[in-house]
Amino acid sequence: MSGIFKQPGAFAITPHKVSVCILLKIYAPPAQISLPFPFSSVAHHNRLGLFLLSLTKSCDDILEPKLDELIHQLRMMSQNWMSTWIIDQLMTRLSSLSSPDDLFNFFIDIRGILGGPDSGAIEDDQIILDLNSNLGIFLRRCVLAFNLLSFEGVCHLLTNIGIYCKEEFSNCPPYEAPSLDDSSSNLETYSEYENMDLENFVYEKVSEEIEARKEANERIPFHLHVPNTLLSLVDDIDVPVDSASKQSEKVRVASPYGDPSSNMLRDDDPSGAVFLRTNWQVQGYLQEQADIIEKNGGAVSLNGFEIVLRQLRKLAPELHRVHFLSYLNSLSHDDYIAALENLHCYFDYSAGTEGLDFVPPAGSNSFGRYEVALLCLGMMHFHFGHPKLALEVLTEAVRVSQQQSNDTCLAYTLAAISNLLFENGISSTARLIGSSYSLFTSIGISLSVQQQLFVLLRGSLKRAESLKLKRLVASNHLAMAKFDLTHVQRPLLSFGPKASMKLSTCPVNVCKELRLSSHLISDFCNESSAMTIDGAFSTAWLRNLPKPTGSLLLCPENGSGSSSNVSQFCAQPTSIPGSVMQVLGSSYLLRATAWELYGSTPLARINALVHATCFADASSSSDTALAYVKLIQHLAVFKGYEEAFSALKIAEEKFLSVSKSQILLLKLQLLHDHALHRGHLKLAQKLCDELGVLASPVTGVDMNLKTEASLRHARTLLAANQFREAAAVAHSLFCMCYKYNLQVENASVLLLLAEIHKKSGNAVLGLPYALASLSFCQSFNLDLLKASATLTLAELWLSLGSSHATRALNLVHGAFPMILGHGGLELRSRAYIVEAKCYLSDTNFSVFENYEIVIDSLRQASDELQLLEFHELAAEAFYLMAMVYDKLGQLEKREEAAASFQKHILALQNNKNEDDPLVSVL
Amino acid sequence: MSSKESCRSELRIAIRQLSDRCLYTASKWAAEQLVGIEQDPAKFTPSNTRFQRGSSSIRRKYRTHEIAATPIAGVSYVATPVMEEDELVDGDFYLLAKSYFDCREYKRAAHVLRDQTSRKSVFLRCYALYLAGEKRKEEEMIELEGPLGKSDSVNRELVSLERELSMLCKNGTIDPFGLYLYGLVLKQKGSENLARTVLVESVNSYPWNWNAWTELRSLCSTIDILNTVNLNSHWMKDFFLASAYQELRMHNESLSKYEYLLGTFGNSNYIQAQIAKAQYSLREFDQVEALFEELMRSDPYRVEDMDMYSNVLYAKESFSALSYLAHRVFMTDKYRPESCCIIGNYYSLKGQHEKSVMYFRRALKLNKNYLSAWTLMGHEFVEMKNTPAAVDAYRRAVDVDPCDYRAWYGLGQAYEMMGMPFYALHYFQKSVFLQPNDSRLWIAMAQCYETEQLRMLDEAIKCYKRAAACNDREAIALYQLAKLHAELGHPEEAASYYKKDLERMEDEEREGPNMVEALLYLARYYKLQDRFEEAEVYCTRLLDYSGPERETAKSLLRGMRSSQSILPSMDVERFPP
Repeated sequence: MSGIFKQPGAFAITPHKVSVCILLKIYAPPAQISLPFPFSSVAHHNRLGLFLLSLTKSCDDILEPKLDELIHQLRMMSQNWMSTWIIDQLMTRLSSLSSPDDLFNFFIDIRGILGGPDSGAIEDDQIILDLNSNLGIFLRRCVLAFNLLSFEGVCHLLTNIGIYCKEEFSNCPPYEAPSLDDSSSNLETYSEYENMDLENFVYEKVSEEIEARKEANERIPFHLHVPNTLLSLVDDIDVPVDSASKQSEKVRVASPYGDPSSNMLRDDDPSGAVFLRTNWQVQGYLQEQADIIEKNGGAVSLNGFEIVLRQLRKLAPELHRVHFLSYLNSLSHDDYIAALENLHCYFDYSAGTEGLDFVPPAGSNSFGRYEVALLCLGMMHFHFGHPKLALEVLTEAVRVSQQQSNDTCLAYTLAAISNLLFENGISSTARLIGSSYSLFTSIGISLSVQQQLFVLLRGSLKRAESLKLKRLVASNHLAMAKFDLTHVQRPLLSFGPKASMKLSTCPVNVCKELRLSSHLISDFCNESSAMTIDGAFSTAWLRNLPKPTGSLLLCPENGSGSSSNVSQFCAQPTSIPGSVMQVLGSSYLLRATAWELYGSTPLARINALVHATCFADASSSSDTALAYVKLIQHLAVFKGYEEAFSALKIAEEKFLSVSKSQILLLKLQLLHDHALHRGHLKLAQKLCDELGVLASPVTGVDMNLKTEASLRHARTLLAANQFREAAAVAHSLFCMCYKYNLQVENASVLLLLAEIHKKSGNAVLGLPYALASLSFCQSFNLDLLKASATLTLAELWLSLGSSHATRALNLVHGAFPMILGHGGLELRSRAYIVEAKCYLSDTNFSVFENYEIVIDSLRQASDELQLLEFHELAAEAFYLMAMVYDKLGQLEKREEAAASFQKHILALQNNKNEDDPLVSVL
Repeated sequence: MSSKESCRSELRIAIRQLSDRCLYTASKWAAEQLVGIEQDPAKFTPSNTRFQRGSSSIRRKYRTHEIAATPIAGVSYVATPVMEEDELVDGDFYLLAKSYFDCREYKRAAHVLRDQTSRKSVFLRCYALYLAGEKRKEEEMIELEGPLGKSDSVNRELVSLERELSMLCKNGTIDPFGLYLYGLVLKQKGSENLARTVLVESVNSYPWNWNAWTELRSLCSTIDILNTVNLNSHWMKDFFLASAYQELRMHNESLSKYEYLLGTFGNSNYIQAQIAKAQYSLREFDQVEALFEELMRSDPYRVEDMDMYSNVLYAKESFSALSYLAHRVFMTDKYRPESCCIIGNYYSLKGQHEKSVMYFRRALKLNKNYLSAWTLMGHEFVEMKNTPAAVDAYRRAVDVDPCDYRAWYGLGQAYEMMGMPFYALHYFQKSVFLQPNDSRLWIAMAQCYETEQLRMLDEAIKCYKRAAACNDREAIALYQLAKLHAELGHPEEAASYYKKDLERMEDEEREGPNMVEALLYLARYYKLQDRFEEAEVYCTRLLDYSGPERETAKSLLRGMRSSQSILPSMDVERFPP
């Protein structure tokens, strides 16, 4: 901004470029017929040409390779004796440059390589550089740059060449060529180019790329950067987005704090001989680092990376993005003060004009786009857990973007605000938003937080759509779907199902919303060329050059390491941007949640699995953790606790540093369930209390956690047969849910109340609750819960007397398809037991004739309950079994069942002296 | 303090030694102080004492901190013996080398001394090499400015110099001057702690080298470091401490040190300029102006520190004085950053901001780290409504010196101008943190809180309270406090602040709409409190003003009278209708 000081620079001649010129001279010596001396075949010759081309491509230098690095590359490139000859030549010619006059002569010589405009007259097989070829242009630029130098400049060049050579001589244990066995395959792969017109071939390829780069350039200098951050923050705070190298990621994860900083300016691949050096590459590097930080902040060492950044800052003080990286770095390490400083610093310098992925409005005045700064600051406060401050800042962002009519920023800001509201549920937003957001003021009604959130979401979505901000649209759709999932849009006027009421909790609706967002993928495929990070691309290109191209596809040698390279290399031009991948990934998670609520566990599991397998790389750690949580929950319900706990261990290792709370929550839930089933009531109560402590003390915040905690509290009380207390807790919970419009939870609370009454023996009182719960479930499409409620209803009927046994049986049978298809172990065995009970209490049912039905279901039930270690119900099953056998007179089997019954009863009673290793983990 | 005479003789020897070693700045400084020692008026002709009298009259007029009659307790000055000179063994070569050095042919000087082993020659050779490297570095910096502003030029002599000096240091064959040079090299290399100890050693064994002191000062960046430095007591230490305090923004401490030093060096221009600097930081502009006028008279071709004088003149809007100053420095040396800055200030005062920016840019070209030019340029950009450029300039100032509260304040202002008060708060907080006694900063922050967008009035009140507590010259804070309290419905607080404001206005004999407002509020307030006597007093005062308030006052009085007339024994006659 501001136009103080100079433009970023012109093409300057450096020692490295002089070396390249020398190599060019070797490549195309003047007046040489057919192949010049060292080359044994056209393939070799072309190979050097390709290499030179890659060198010339990367001439916007920030950091150039040193001579030894260049020599190393040369060695990698070609056969042994040939490369030694070339290197010798290079060294002697470089060291022969000892006075300014040598340089003058050198550049006059160089001009001789270039063909004149009359080059058509020359014989066919003479090697000559076309004036307009890439290499020719490079050479001409070098000559021009040299001619423009002042004498001081020539002197500097001379001294620099001296230093450049001295460094090489001083640390010159000759390189052992690491790629001995490569050479043979080189030969083969390059032979296919033998008959091709090299210049044309490469030129086409390169010019394509240049074009693409130009395009990107015109649109906006730093393309991807901020939007990723924004988007990710919009969607989820410690987010990520990545198309970057898996390999480096692995290295980092393996040694989070140990990465040697000296290594970092290069790449993690020590043999790759890739140097960060062009402007684009540095930016690509920064981009990659930003992705890594956002994805998994803990993996980048704070100080190590800071050292790298400091170096960069020194080398390129005008590259302000380094400050942003510093900001991200300190953000991910929870260094509030440094983050704040760096953020302000970045925006003071850049004025917000780098970054967002749209063309700034034509004829924009010189006013910077500081609203972006506000947006970032707001999200930073959000990240650090200052929702009030964040809201203040974001409100200011809304106002400023309205003033500057920066609709894009406004849309992002609105999305950020709604995200904030979603996460934190601030109660007193009326003043802040009311004063700034015209919609509310015009209505003049104070709305509840949820309603505000809804309006905000809609507004943001509309804006994003009209501005064609695809990623924002996508994430807004996701947010809408999330909103639909947890909030019922219209409060119920009265109980009972209503045909006219259309509720969005139905997974079909959610998926519809989600599908809108996944349309994006195709859109992104079309514009991917513009989305590619040019720097990253050229890095990959250069990195893969030394390796034979043919073998890349087969990747025989290096195993996994190079295969990730391959995918990166090949996938780069068409890859889908990481942010899109992430949005897609979270759509799968939402789908899973929707199905879970709906009651279809297999579908939920499939969606979670898809997320865990396909999007684990691209999505944030909290998203991935959520997918794991869902899978583990599924395991617990369907396979018993043992497997769930072993899976949990794995998950805990994986997410230890990143998102503790989610995994912790799951652990508490599992332990609580387990304790309840085994009858460890004291422990259960303790766990339940711990769960409650996790929630924030502010009213109206963390509602999910709070309802969960008190639901579990009521359950524990129920298990302890303290019916009155349990009922009181459930009642107050119901009131709370009703107050905060948590309709889905209401259904389960009602069901719990019915259970309480059932257990306390007041079946008559329980019936209305069960019916109410049933109707709730029906109207919200909660099918699995409905099945469970039906079961409870059947039990209630049954307890009213044997005359209702048929009715109960019918109910159970009606629910059976749902229960057997989707229900977990507990639900299924409960259903079996109820069914058996119904049969047994039915007066028309004769045990002697049909005892197999009863025994079968009881055996099923007892098997599954043993998996769950649910002693109480298991004992009941065995008791019933024993009774049946007793009636049948099968004494042996009766004894067996009775023994099992005794075992479970004893286990239920003597649970104190057992110490559970899992509990001690806590 | 040691006697003036001993100081004088010490300095005389030191000046010779310093200039013999080509430490010109230090010898210049020492010579200034030598002349600055107050002469005994009985012995000298009146022409010599002319300046002296003038300056002491200024001092008498403005002396705020009385000189501590006794020096700080327990200080007894160590009389450092003046160093013995090496014998002039290498005399001829040395003379040649020094001549070359004087002609700024550093490499040549070093070459002449290549085989000389006396300490003096070794020092001069190393010093010449160092300066040659510095000169080359500066040149390269301009030649080599890369595409992204990168300039990684270094002094190429540093490595070999460090090697040689550290060896000498180990052998124990190093003299204090060599130590100074060693410290300089170490500091450039970045090993600050070692540099500090080396410099301390140097000044302890030879205290008259002001260069060494300044280097040491730049290494004492916090008060804690300053306190840990172990220095012999010598009167030079007082100079050092005074300037170090100034650097650490402990202006009052620094001022008292300087006042104390004036006892001996009564005529020192240097001390006068430093006092002016401290006073400027304390915002005592009148005193600063007087001091500089005096300085101009005694030292008319001085350019150093004159940019501060121009700032004062700018603040006082004295056009002609500023133009006179600008003309004078322009004639003296136009290619000094200070000169450019003064001219920039002049244009700024004239409202020609483009030209002013041009001159600030020139100043920055001459010295990229010239702090005040960056800040002032930021101000100009603010005036030109080019806020992004202003932000950029301020940010660069902050990068040069993160303790520059003016630049932080400027950043805050710029963002406030852009309608981002909440964002601006961060910067105001920074500046207030650095300069907690400046009421303007507090007021700026309070106004930020008060803006229509934020309306965080409680915070604003807190800020105004701080502002009122630290000598709010423009008297904004009290009035605003009163108004805010009134607005928030705290009548007692509002009334008390109005009253204070009123008292202040009476003290300073100011009139204006604020006065009327205060009177009216107080009248109403006391009337509501049924304290009619006070209310009447304020109402009668209001009657002196014209305008609608007068009518309001009348009706208030009438209202009071009617309610009082219910009560017996009321003197109605005093207010004839």
